[in-house]
Amino acid sequence: EKWDMPLAYPATNFHSENAAVFAACVTSGSGGEIEIVTHPGGSLFGGADIKRAVQTGQALIGERLLSAHANEDPLFGIDSIPFLASSFEASGKLWDAAEAAIAEALDGQNLVLLYTVPWPPQGIYFNKEVNSGNDMKGVKFRAYNAATAKLAELTGMLPVQIEAAEVSQAFATGVAESMVSSAATGYDSKLWENVSHFYEVDAWLPRNAMLVNKDKWAGLSDDMKKVFTDCAATAEAEGLERAKAYTTKTLEGLASNGMQVLKPSDELKADLAAVGATMTEEWLAAAGDKGKAIVDAYKAQ
Amino acid sequence: MIALGRGLRRLLDGLYFAGGMIAALALVSILAIIVAQMIARWTGVLFPGAANYAGYAMASASFFAFAHALGRGAHIRVSILLNALGRHRRWLEVWCFAIGAALAWYLARYAIKAVYWSWKLNDVSQGQDATPLWIPQTAMAAGAVLLAIAMTDHLVRVLFLGSSGIVSDTVEQSHGE
Amino acid sequence: METFAPIILFLFVLFLLLGTGVWVGLALLGVAFVGMELFTSRPAGDAMITVIWAASSSWTLTALPLFIWMGEILYRTRLSEDMFRGLAPWMARLPGGLLHTNVVGCTVFAAVSGSSAATLTTVGKMSVPELRKRQYPEKMVIGTLAGAATLGLMIPPSLTLIVYGVTINESITKLFMAGILPGLVLASLFMGYIAIYAKVSKSYNPQPEPAMSLREKLANSRFLLPVIVLIMVVIGSMYLGLATATEAAALGVIGSLALAAGQGSLTWKTFGESLMGATRTSAMVALILAGAAFLSLSMGFTGLPRALAAWIADMELSRFQLLMALLVFYIIIGCFLDGISSVVLTMAVVEPMIRAAGIDAIWFGIFVVVVVEMAQITPPIGFNLFVLQGMTRHEMTYIARAALPMFALMVVMVFILIAFPELATWLPDNMRNRP
Ligand code: NA
Ligand code: NA
Repeated sequence: EKWDMPLAYPATNFHSENAAVFAACVTSGSGGEIEIVTHPGGSLFGGADIKRAVQTGQALIGERLLSAHANEDPLFGIDSIPFLASSFEASGKLWDAAEAAIAEALDGQNLVLLYTVPWPPQGIYFNKEVNSGNDMKGVKFRAYNAATAKLAELTGMLPVQIEAAEVSQAFATGVAESMVSSAATGYDSKLWENVSHFYEVDAWLPRNAMLVNKDKWAGLSDDMKKVFTDCAATAEAEGLERAKAYTTKTLEGLASNGMQVLKPSDELKADLAAVGATMTEEWLAAAGDKGKAIVDAYKAQ
Repeated sequence: MIALGRGLRRLLDGLYFAGGMIAALALVSILAIIVAQMIARWTGVLFPGAANYAGYAMASASFFAFAHALGRGAHIRVSILLNALGRHRRWLEVWCFAIGAALAWYLARYAIKAVYWSWKLNDVSQGQDATPLWIPQTAMAAGAVLLAIAMTDHLVRVLFLGSSGIVSDTVEQSHGE
Repeated sequence: METFAPIILFLFVLFLLLGTGVWVGLALLGVAFVGMELFTSRPAGDAMITVIWAASSSWTLTALPLFIWMGEILYRTRLSEDMFRGLAPWMARLPGGLLHTNVVGCTVFAAVSGSSAATLTTVGKMSVPELRKRQYPEKMVIGTLAGAATLGLMIPPSLTLIVYGVTINESITKLFMAGILPGLVLASLFMGYIAIYAKVSKSYNPQPEPAMSLREKLANSRFLLPVIVLIMVVIGSMYLGLATATEAAALGVIGSLALAAGQGSLTWKTFGESLMGATRTSAMVALILAGAAFLSLSMGFTGLPRALAAWIADMELSRFQLLMALLVFYIIIGCFLDGISSVVLTMAVVEPMIRAAGIDAIWFGIFVVVVVEMAQITPPIGFNLFVLQGMTRHEMTYIARAALPMFALMVVMVFILIAFPELATWLPDNMRNRP
C-alpha cells in the first residue's frame, strides 16, 4: 500500500532528508507492504494543512512544526517558550518531560506521535552590537506570532509585522532591524547581505513531529507497528545529529560570509532570562496543571 | 404557476446579486485591512492577524461572487465548439451545465463538510488571530452552494427554455488578462 | 512508460472538458477529481477542500482583486485622453509619428494596470480614432496596439505575475521588479519596428502634425502628471521597499480613486461599476486558481510531475533545449487558452522541471509572461484579438495578421531574455541589496 507523506520543507532541508530516510526504512522494513512516498516542499499539502490532513486521513502520515498549533492547545507550544530550555541537551530533557502529555493530546486529535526532531536553536539577529536589554529598546523587531510580539513588548523593542516571504526585503530597507530565528534561516536566505550581527542566545528549539493517522495505525499488525517504531527511534536519534551538524554548518556559514556571530554578554543573558521567566509564568497560566507538571518535572531533572 | 415562476426567478436573481454585493463588500474590506496594516506598521502599532483577516476576506470575495460572475458571463471558457454548433449549441450547453452543476454541488458538499469538521475538531487559525476556522469557511460553503444553485438553475433553463440566460461576455472575460 | 499512463488520461479528460466549453476552473476541478478517484485511495473531496481553502484564503492573493479594481477605476477616468494629449506632441516628430503613442501609451498605462485587455481598451479608445483620423495605415494602428497592450502583463503590476508568484510561492514584489527592464526592451523593439516601417513602407503617409514649440509641448505634458504620480506610488513604493505588492495595490486603488475624484469622474455609479466589475473578474481568476490547487494536489498523488521532471532530467536536455521545448509548448496551448489558465494549468508539472534544471524561478516568471503574452494575439483564442474585434469591427483573422510582426518581435524578445538573463534578474537583486 502506498502512503503519501506531505512535508512542508524543501527536499534538501535536513528534516526532509531525515524523513526520506525514515520513509525508506519503513518501506524496506515492511518488505514493501507499505511504501511511503515523500512529497517535500509543500508539494502535496502546505505546512499549515499537514496536521489536519493526517488527522482526517487525507494523508496517512506527515511531518509538522508542532508549536504552530499552540492556538489549539498551549501544550503544543512548550518547545517554544523563550529561554526555558536553551540547548540541545536542555531541549531534550524538556521533551522527555513533555512527550507523554503531548502524545496524549495528539491522541485526542486522532494522531499518533512517532518521533520529533528539533530545529537549530533560535538566536537573535540585530543590525548593531547589542550587549544588554537596554540596547534592545526601540529596535524594530519582526513579530510573527503572539509569542514574538510578547517578546518585543517585554524587551521594549518595537514590533513590526512581516510575513516570512518579505523578511530579506524588510531588513534591506530598514523596516525591520531585528528578529528571532535560527542561524539556518539566515543562512538559507543569505541574510548577511542585510544584517550584521547574530547572537547565539539559543532562545528555544522548536520541534517537528512525525504524525500518523490513528485510525490507520490501529489497523496495523503489531509487527508492522514495530517496524514503524524502530525506524522512528533511529530517525529521532539521527535527526538530532543532523540538527546539530546543521547548526554548526550554518553558524560557520554566517560567519564566513561576514556576519558577526557572537555569544551574548552575561548582562544580555541575564536580561533575556528575566524575560523568559515572565513568559514561562504566562505560559503556565494558559496551560494549567498539565503544563505545570511538565515544567516542574523538567526543572527537577 | 407563471407568477410562482416569476417570483422564483426574481428570488434567485436577487440571491446571486446579493452574493455579488457581499463579495464586493469583502473586496472593500481587503482594502481596509491592508491600509490599516500599513498604517499600523508606520505608527509602530500591531494589528495582530491582519494577513489572516485579509485572507478570509479574499476567500469571501471570491466564493460569494462565483454565481454572480457566472450569470454575467465572466467565467472563462473555451467557446470555439459552442460557437461552431450554431443553433445546436443548446445540447452542448446542457452538457456543460450538467457537468458544472455536478462539480459545483460536489464542491458545495465538501465545503459544508469542511465547516462541520473545522467546528467539530475545534480547528483554529495558526496565526495571531486564532480565529475558529469554521467561521470564515462558512463564507466558502455559502458561496459554493450559491454557485451550485446557479448552475442547476441555468441547467434547468437550458433544458426547458432553450437558453441559459447567460450572455457570454468576452470583454468581461478579458479583464483578467 | 507505465508512469506516463496517467498523462493520457489527464489530457483526455482535460481536452474533453475544456474543448466542450466547461468553464476553465471547473474543468480543472473535474480533471483533478478523476485523477484522485483513480490514483489514490485518499478521500478526494476532503483533500480538495483543504487545498482549495488554503489557496483561496491566501494573503498574497489579495494583490489580485486590488490591482483589478485599480484598472477598473482608471478605465472610467479621462486618463486615456490625457495620456494622448500629453504624449502626442513628443511622438509627432519621430519616424512613425503618432503610431508611437500606441506603444508609449501602453507602456505608461501598463505601469498602473495589471491587465493586458484593460491596457488595450484604455489606450485604444483614444488612440485608434485619433490615428485613423490622421490616416495612419490601419494595419499598423491595430497591430501595434494589439502587440503593445501585452506589455500590460509584463510591466508591473501584472495579474499573470501575481498568479505565477502565488502558484509557485515566489515573491511577487521581486517578480514585479524583474518585469520592468524586459518590458522596456520589448517596448523599444516595437518602437524600432514602427520607425523602420515608416521609413520603408509605401503605404505610410499620414497627415503631418502641426509644429509645436517646446513650450507648448511641455505645457501639454502636464496631462501626464497624474499617471506619473500614480506610477511612482505603485512601483516606487515597491522598489523602495516601503510597501509589499499587496500594499502597493492598496495604495494604487486609493490613488486611482483620488485621480478619478480630481477629474470629477468619480460618482457612486462609476464607483459601484468598477467595484462590481473587479469583484467578478477576481472571482473568475479565483475559480481557476481553486481548480488548479486541486489539480496540483491530484497530480502530486499520482507522482506524475516528479516522474516527468525526472524524465526530462534523464534526457539531459540543455537548459536552452528545455526552454525551446517550453516555448513551443506554451505557444501551442496559448492558441487555445488564456495566459492565466496556461500558467496555473502547467505549473504543477513545469515547476519541478525548471527547478531541476536549475533555472531561476524569478527569471522564468518573466519568460513565461512573454510567452503567454504572445497567446493574447494568436487565434483562435486571444483576448486582445477579441477586444480589438469589438473595438474596431475588423475580422479576427485581419487583426491577427496585423499583429503577426509583433508576435515575431516577442519571439525575438524571448531570445534576448535567454541571452541576457540579467535583464530580468538585475533589478530584483539590487532592490534587495539597497542599504
Ligand atoms: Na502592468
Ligand atoms: Na491565443
